[in-house]
Amino acid sequence: MFRNCAIIGCGQTKHTSRRRDVSVAELAQQAVQAALDDAGITMKDVGCVVSGNMQGFGGVAQPEQWLGDWIGCPGKPAIRIATGGTTGGSVGQGACYTVASGMYDVSIGVAWEKHSDSKEAGATTGLMHVGMGNLFHALTYGLSLRNLIATSAVGAAAGVAVYQAMFYMHRSGCKQEHLDMVAAKARRNAAKNQYAHLQWPNCRPEDIAKTETIAWPFRYGHVCPASDGASCIVVAEEKTAKRLCKQPAWFLGLASYSDEENQLQSENFGGVGVIDPSEQMGCRVSAKKAYAMAGITDPQKEIDLAEIYQPFPSQELIFSERLGLFDDGTAWRHMEKGETDINGRLPISVSGGVNATNAIGSSALQRILEAALQIQGKAGEHQVPKKVRKAVAHGWGGVTNYITCTVLGDSPR
Amino acid sequence: MEKKSGVIVVNGLPIVQAQFNWSVGFQMQNFLKALANKKFLASKCPECAYVYAPPRNTCSKCYKKMEEKDLVELSGKGMLAGWTTAYVELDGKGNFVDLKKPKLIAAVKLEGANSTLFMPLEDIDSKKLKVGMAVAIEWSPETKGGWKDIKYLRAV
Amino acid sequence: MAYLKDERPETMMVEGDWQVGAYRWKAPRLLEEFSAGLKEKKIIGSMCMGCGKVITQPRHLCGRCHRRMDERCVLSDWGTITCFVISPKVEKGKYKLFGMDPVDTGTLKLGEILIPVFVRFDGADSNINCLLLNAKPEEVFIGMRVKVVWAKEPKGQMADLEGVEPIREK
Repeated sequence: MFRNCAIIGCGQTKHTSRRRDVSVAELAQQAVQAALDDAGITMKDVGCVVSGNMQGFGGVAQPEQWLGDWIGCPGKPAIRIATGGTTGGSVGQGACYTVASGMYDVSIGVAWEKHSDSKEAGATTGLMHVGMGNLFHALTYGLSLRNLIATSAVGAAAGVAVYQAMFYMHRSGCKQEHLDMVAAKARRNAAKNQYAHLQWPNCRPEDIAKTETIAWPFRYGHVCPASDGASCIVVAEEKTAKRLCKQPAWFLGLASYSDEENQLQSENFGGVGVIDPSEQMGCRVSAKKAYAMAGITDPQKEIDLAEIYQPFPSQELIFSERLGLFDDGTAWRHMEKGETDINGRLPISVSGGVNATNAIGSSALQRILEAALQIQGKAGEHQVPKKVRKAVAHGWGGVTNYITCTVLGDSPR
Repeated sequence: MEKKSGVIVVNGLPIVQAQFNWSVGFQMQNFLKALANKKFLASKCPECAYVYAPPRNTCSKCYKKMEEKDLVELSGKGMLAGWTTAYVELDGKGNFVDLKKPKLIAAVKLEGANSTLFMPLEDIDSKKLKVGMAVAIEWSPETKGGWKDIKYLRAV
Repeated sequence: MAYLKDERPETMMVEGDWQVGAYRWKAPRLLEEFSAGLKEKKIIGSMCMGCGKVITQPRHLCGRCHRRMDERCVLSDWGTITCFVISPKVEKGKYKLFGMDPVDTGTLKLGEILIPVFVRFDGADSNINCLLLNAKPEEVFIGMRVKVVWAKEPKGQMADLEGVEPIREK
C-alpha cells in the first residue's frame, strides 16, 4: 500500500555549459548538501539513496558506484535508475517508492549530468552511442551514407523533436511564431531562476526569430542547452514531513509508461508501429493514471501549475494537451493569450524548464523539484503569484517513448 | 550444407571513439600540482580524522566537507598491503595482449594515510614479497604535475 | 540584451576515450531479408498476426502486443508523406560524421537543400525515413502522394531504395 510521503527539501547547483570548477562527484555532492540543508537534516537521517544520470553521457559507465561516497551511499542502500531522458523523473518517483512502500522513512533522490566531460560538441557523445549498434548494422547492409547523414544529421540535429513538431503543427495550426513565443518565455522565466542556464532577461519572440534556422521549423534559439548541473530532493514519510517542514510538497499521484520507440528505427533497424510521434499515447495514459491516483477528475480546472519536460518549445504545447491541461490542438492558442505565463491562469514551466536548462539526467527530477518549490512557496523570484494547490511534473525520454508523470499537492492524500 | 545461424555479428567501426575530458575539481588539482614538487598530498577529515590519499572534498564516513586547509603532506613511504601479478593487458579495442614481462600491482598503505591505493611495483625481488614490507614512491626524474610524476613503488 | 554570463574557473582535466569500435553486436538477419527484397524492387514488411500491423523495415516482435512477427508481405511502391523537414542550404562543417565532413567527401553538395521525409507506404503501419527527390521545397506538403525511386541497378542493399519522388500527373 502507498503510505503518504512528501518532498521536504530541494537542492540544485547552478547550471552552466562548463562546470569545470568541480568534478562530477563534487557537482552531485553540492546538490545533495543543498537539499539536506534545505530540509534541515543531516546525512545520518537518510535511509536510502536513489541516484541516476544518462547512461554513458559523462564517460563513466557506473557513476553511482564511483561517486557514491559523495552522495551519501556508504552504509545505505544505493539504487541507480537510468531511463534515458526520464531518468530524473524515475529517480524522483523511485525516491518516493522507497518511502511510500514503508521501507525507509527518509530517502534522497539525486540526479546529475556533466556534459562538458564529453569532448564531442553539443554533448553528443552519449547520443552517438545510443544509435551506434543500429547504425553499424544498417551500414553493413549498404545503407547509403548520404541518406544517413541527411535523415539523421539534418533531422536529428534538433533531435527527434523536429519531426514531432511538424506533425503537431500540421494537426493543430500552430505556427513557427508560436515556437518563438514559447522559447522566449522559457528564457525570460529562466532569468528569474538563479540556478537556470540560459537566462535572457526580457527575452522577446523577435529575439528568438533572429537566430539561424537549423532545420525548418526549428531555430537555434529554440533549442535547449547542454548543461552541467545536478539536483536533489529529500522525501520523507508523513510524520517526519509534518515535523520538519512547514509546507511539504505531497506526492498525490505517480505513473510512468514506456512504449515502443515512437519514431525512426527500432532495434535491429526495424520499423516502428507509431505513425505520429506527437500522438504520445503514453503521456495520455500516464496522466490518466496519475490523476486518478490523486483524485483529480478535471485537470483543466484542478491543476494550478505544470512543469513540462520541453527541451523543444513544440513539446510544451504537445504535452500540455496530452496531460489534459488543454483541449486537443488548442495549446498554442492559450499560450498566445498569456495563460501559461508566470502570472497566467495555468503557469507552465515558470522555471524556464528544460528549454533553458538541460542537464539531461537531472532535468526530469528538476520538474518535480520545481513543482515542489512552487507548492512550498520557496521558488523566490520565479514564484507564481497564485496559491499552488496541485501541480503536475512531467518527463519524456528515449525516442519520445518513455513518460513519467507526477502529481504533487499541498496536502496529503 | 551448413545451416546459416540466425544471427550476424556487427562490428563497431574501428575509427569511432567517444572522447572525454573529465575536470578534476580543486582538491584533486591541488594534489596533481603538488606532485611536481615530489609531494604526495592527502586530506584529513576535520570531524573523524580519516585521512584520504589522494585527497577528496567529502568524507565518506561522516559526510563532512574537506577543503584546502585540510590537506596534509605524506612522507611517500608506506607498507605493502597486498599485491597481484598481471600477465595480460587490454588494448582498449576489445583484445587481450600478452605482456612481455609480468607486471606487479601493489596495494599500498602510505604512511599517514588510512586509505589504500594501487600503484605499479618495480625494482623489487618478487620472491621476497611479503605483506607489511616497507615500500616507497620512486619519483620520475622530471616532474610536471600529473600522475606520471610517480614512476612506481619500490622496496625500501 | 542577451544571455547572462556565468563563467567558472577551469580545473585540470584527465583525458580518456571509449573505443566504440571494440564492440561486437549480434543482430538477426532481418535486414538481409529486406535488402534481398530491395534487389527485386520489393519493399518487404513483417505482419503481426495479433493486431494485424504491418511494419517495415521488418522486425521480430510487435511493439504493442509482443507477438512474433513471422509473417511477411510486400508493400506498395506508392505511399504518402506523413512528415517532412527542410534543411537550410548545406554548408561545410555542419554535418560531421565519424570526424569526416560530408561536403569534403562529396556525399553532400555545397548549397543543396535536403528534404528528409517520413513516408507511409500503402499497406504499412510504420514510416520509412528517406529523402524526397526531384521536388522543390515549396511543393512539399503532408499528405503528398509519392512513389519509390529505385537505384538503376539494385544490388541487394539498403541504398537500392534511393528515396521517393512526387507522383506527377502526366
